[in-house]
This record gives sequence, structure tokens and C-alpha cells, in this order.
Amino acid sequence: MEQRWASTWRMSVNERKFIETALASDLRVDGRRPFDYRRLTIKFGREDGSAEVQLGQTHVLSYVTSQLVQPYRDRPNEGSLSIFTEFSPMADPSFEAGRPGEFAIELGRVIDRGLRESRAVDMESLCVVAGKSVWSIRVDLHIIDNGGNLVDAANIAALAALLTFRRPECTVGGENGQDVIIHDPEVMEPLPLIIHHLPIAVTFAFFSDGNIMVIDPTHKEEVVMGGRMTATINSNGDVCTVQKAGGEGIMSSVVMQCLRVASVKAADITSKIKNAVETYNTERALRKVKRHPLTAAHRVIVPDVIMKNEQVENIGHRPDKNSRQDDEMLVDTKTCTNSESSSGGRHTDPFVGGSSNWDPYPGRVGKLQDLPGPLMVIKEELRSDEMVIESTPELSTITSSSGTVGASGVKQQTNAPKSLKDAVKSKNRKKNKASTTTS
Amino acid sequence: MGEMEVDRADGRTASQLRPLACSRNTLHRAHGSARWSQGDTIVLAAVYGPKAGTKKGENPEKASIEVIWKPKTGHIGKLEKEYEMVLKRTLQSICLLTIHPNTTTSIIVQVLGDDGALLPCAINASCAALVDAGIPLKHLAVSICCGLTESGSVILDPTKAEEQKIQAFAYLVFPNSPLSVLSKGSSAEDDEPIEHGTITSVTHGVMPVLDYFNCLERGRAASAKISEFLRRSLESQTK
Repeated sequence: MEQRWASTWRMSVNERKFIETALASDLRVDGRRPFDYRRLTIKFGREDGSAEVQLGQTHVLSYVTSQLVQPYRDRPNEGSLSIFTEFSPMADPSFEAGRPGEFAIELGRVIDRGLRESRAVDMESLCVVAGKSVWSIRVDLHIIDNGGNLVDAANIAALAALLTFRRPECTVGGENGQDVIIHDPEVMEPLPLIIHHLPIAVTFAFFSDGNIMVIDPTHKEEVVMGGRMTATINSNGDVCTVQKAGGEGIMSSVVMQCLRVASVKAADITSKIKNAVETYNTERALRKVKRHPLTAAHRVIVPDVIMKNEQVENIGHRPDKNSRQDDEMLVDTKTCTNSESSSGGRHTDPFVGGSSNWDPYPGRVGKLQDLPGPLMVIKEELRSDEMVIESTPELSTITSSSGTVGASGVKQQTNAPKSLKDAVKSKNRKKNKASTTTS
Repeated sequence: MGEMEVDRADGRTASQLRPLACSRNTLHRAHGSARWSQGDTIVLAAVYGPKAGTKKGENPEKASIEVIWKPKTGHIGKLEKEYEMVLKRTLQSICLLTIHPNTTTSIIVQVLGDDGALLPCAINASCAALVDAGIPLKHLAVSICCGLTESGSVILDPTKAEEQKIQAFAYLVFPNSPLSVLSKGSSAEDDEPIEHGTITSVTHGVMPVLDYFNCLERGRAASAKISEFLRRSLESQTK
């Protein structure tokens, strides 16, 4: 690569001194305290297994895909997990397209060790036919904005995508019992991966001979820092990885302190990831409910649904509990056809950053702007859900746990924004239980 | 013609586009960035403004444009190289190359979702990103994909499923100069040669010549809509 036209940005001495002096008084340039993380936002795409993580100004995308391959010879009944990191040139002017630099390789290895070697993802459940075909999971991480601390952000993105990824259901059949048939996601519900624990990477930066340490360095702090250490810890307190490659020497007591801080932070971030994934799963189940308005009826017979007191509009109050659940589950099919054309617009909502959105329902866009976290986004969508429904009424395929479609359930057709959430949760359990028994 | 007869999977008419969304300045490090989505096809483009020096084979008397195309997953193959080349030539024709000689402007395109009409979406995103970065341009460019069904009718902005079914489709790029927006009522202006130009046309499949001209006409008509949207979004977002 010709160096003469690659832009090299050098930090000025003034800026460097300013950051160092501020840190000596426990002040960080962006106003954080030394052990504070930047704001973390986790968003999910429409497909399963795609996540977008923003940690302050750092922006990472991750996509998970799966493929049936032959297993390695020494591990015939285990699947494989491979992580590909792409330092896109759009993230930083010094990132160059083509071969990954040493930092990109280091980042890939740290995340790989944290996920694969700590056995966070269960490999044996990915085996289909021992010795012949296993699932190979591929995680693609795209760094699109380098605001500092890429390791942590990329790790969170990889975890979020793996947690929401669903691999297709497949059965072994054929004449000799060796042929693997992969089922279409419409026919059989795809399965999530089994993840035992969530290894969270926490990065520390050291300044002034190892005396000052901060967590989650920004891009400018990374230029000034003397050394860095990444500790990957899960919420149980198990240390999965520690990476300190060169830089200033620090005392062992400092290392222990770092690990203690990291375990606290790991618990915090784990809960954030779990909340975001839970919200996504709820929304996904909601989408599934609306796509099969006829089949949703038979899943309604769930006696343990507890109605929380929430504002529910346009519900005809029925005396018995069962039909009240019917009200919430089913959706007005008339509104389905009206808003079909806007289904495309709805999908772009989580990713619309700016105000310019050519959308037939501009009211929704205003609500989704400038929201702090993923939870808020989904809540807004639920509230405004009654008008925009992503459904194609011609899809009448029934998923795996189908029984007889209760014709009685179809009568009540009302819009039920928020209470669907509670009803859907238990339905989810039932659905997962049923799908595992049939598989 | 056969407009209402065409039955599309998502219920659109033959000349209806998918919902457009454009947001600028989404990245912090890049000099200019834009995210453009047409339905489920989403592309993120980032621009790093004029850097010193040009690559070996380029003309140092002019600014050079460098395009890097990043697919969502998988390796970079011939298709990505072709997209890079088409994008580079298209953007070279809209940028004012003589203002900053011996510099390189890099445009990095990241595909976030592919549901048909990927190249037009990328061209629109790149154009918006160039504006966001403040690179001097002659005029804007809008791009559209026109498909030709077996019955001979033209459908606009096909999805991936539709692209695979129809016999031929064309990616078209038209210039978008301010006069095309102002002179809506009046016709026969002296700027007509500019308005009626086609910057880029990439076709796939076999189509008769008359149908191709039909596609051009429809595409140009639709590009006026996209131009309006692009200008509105560029003007409304104040930094």
C-alpha cells in the first residue's frame, strides 16, 4: 500500500498533554469516570443473527450464518465456529482494504478464544450425522466506525448475533439414513444455538507508568495510552481470556484489581445484552403470531397467562379468561391488507438514524428518534403496532407444533398492543417445548 | 399499457417504488456517510475526502476516485469487483475532478441488506455520502432498477425474488440537476440535453430494443421522484 496517499493522522502534543494531565486528576475528556462504560446500544436486524452494536462512537455490525460441512477428522461429532473480522476502511482512514493488519488479527483471536475455547457455544448440538455433516457457524464482524475499544464492542456484537441466530431445522432421512434434509424456516421453526455462558470482554488502558487505568478507552485515549489489557470474564466470574500484549508493565496487584472490576462490568453488560435479546425475541414471536392469524388460535389455550394491568385499546371485554386471551392474540386481518405495502417501511425503522424517512406513516418516525436503548424502540413499536402489521395473509403454513385450528378463536378480532407481550412470552415457552418434542 | 395487470408479491403496482429512507452523517470518523435503504435493500456508504497522492495507474492531473465494496458476508469476488468498477466510473462522471488534482477520494460501500436493486441503492447512497462529505460535484445522480417481465411490461425497483424471475432488468443512473426540479411545468428548455442523459446502464438478461427504450423512459420518470426525495433529505437535515 502506498504510504504517500494513505492519510496518517498524528495527535498533536497539546492534545496528548491535555489528556494525560486530565487523567492525572481523574478526569476523562468525555466526562466519564475512570470505570464508566460509554453508552451501549444493541439493535437487531430483521433476519435472525444480525446485530448492530454502538458503544459510544464505535459502531460494529455482526452477521451469523450457518452451513452444513464435513467435520474435522479429530472431532467427528462437533460443529465448528469461525469468526471473521473485517476492519472496513470506512471505520478509520488508516484501515486499509485487503489483508487484515495485526490489530485486526489480534482482535479476531481474542474474540475467538473468548467464544470458542471457553466453550461458550455448544458444539456437540451442532452435529447432524457424526463424521459426515455438522453445522459450521460463521460470524462476520464488520467494524464500521472506530471510536476506540473495538474489542469490547465487537465481542458484544458477536454475542448478540449468536444469541438471536436461528439455524434451520434438519432431519436425517433418506434410504440409508444418511441424507440430511434441511427444512425451510417457514415449514419448521428454526432452532437457536445453545450458549452456555456469555464471555464479556472488558478492556483497560494504562497511562503514566501503569498508575492510572481507565476502562473503555476512546480512540484518542488509545493513542495516548501506554498499555492495554483485555480481560474476558463471564457473569459467573470465570476468566475466559486475558490479553495483554506488550505495552507498559503493570504490577500484579493492578492486574487483580482489573479482574475484579471486569467481573462487575461483565455482569452489568450481560444483563444489558440479555434484555436486548429478550426484547428482540418477544418482537420476533409477535411477528410470528401476526403472520399466522389462523394458527395463533390454537396456541391461545394457555391457562397460566396473567393479565397485567395495562392500557389496552379497543378490546371487547369478555367474561371468561380464555376468550380474553383470544382478543389479544389475534389481529384484525382487515388492517393487515391495508398496511401490507408499508411493511417494508416498518423494517427500516430500527435503523433510521436521521429525520428523513419517506414513509406513509410519518408519525411513527418521530417516536423512534433519539431513543436511548433498544427496549424503548420496541415499546414504541408495540404501542403503534395496531396500524402497521407485517403480514402476508396468503401465508397459511402451519408451524411444527400445529394442532387443530380452533375455529372459535377466529371470531374475536381486535387490536391489542401491549398486553400481547405477556401473552406472547408464555406462548413462546409452549412453542419451544412443542418444537423440541417434535424434532 | 400493462401497468395494472402486473401482480407483484408485495402488492405494489408496476411503477411503485419501495419505501425510501436516507440518513446522512451516521458515522463519526468518516468525512461523509450516508445510509440509503429501499425496502429491505440497505447500503451504507462512507467517504474519506481528498487524500494526498494518487495510485500508480491514475492520472495525476485529476482527482481520482477509489471505491471499495464490502459485501455482507463471504469473500470478495468478481461480482464485487464489477460493482466497484461501475460505481467508480459513475461517480467519476459526476465529480468535478479538476478542482483537486493529484488526490484520491475513497468511497467505501458496505452492504447491510440485499433484497434486489443493490447497485442502484449503492449509487444513491454514495451520492448522498459525497454530498455529506462536501466533495464538489457537477450534479447529483439517481439510480433505479427497471425490470422487464415476460409480458413486456416494465416493473420498477424489483425485489430479489422478482429479479430472479423476470427475463431481464437494467440498472440505470440518471443525472439530477436542479433544473429538472424547477422546470417541472415548462418543457423545451435549453437544458434538455442534460436532463435526458443517461450516465450508466447495466443490463442483465435479454430484452428487445424497444423494451429497453421503454425501460429508459419509465426509469427517467421514476428518477424524478427519487431526485425529489434525495434533494428533500439533503436539504432538510441540518448538521
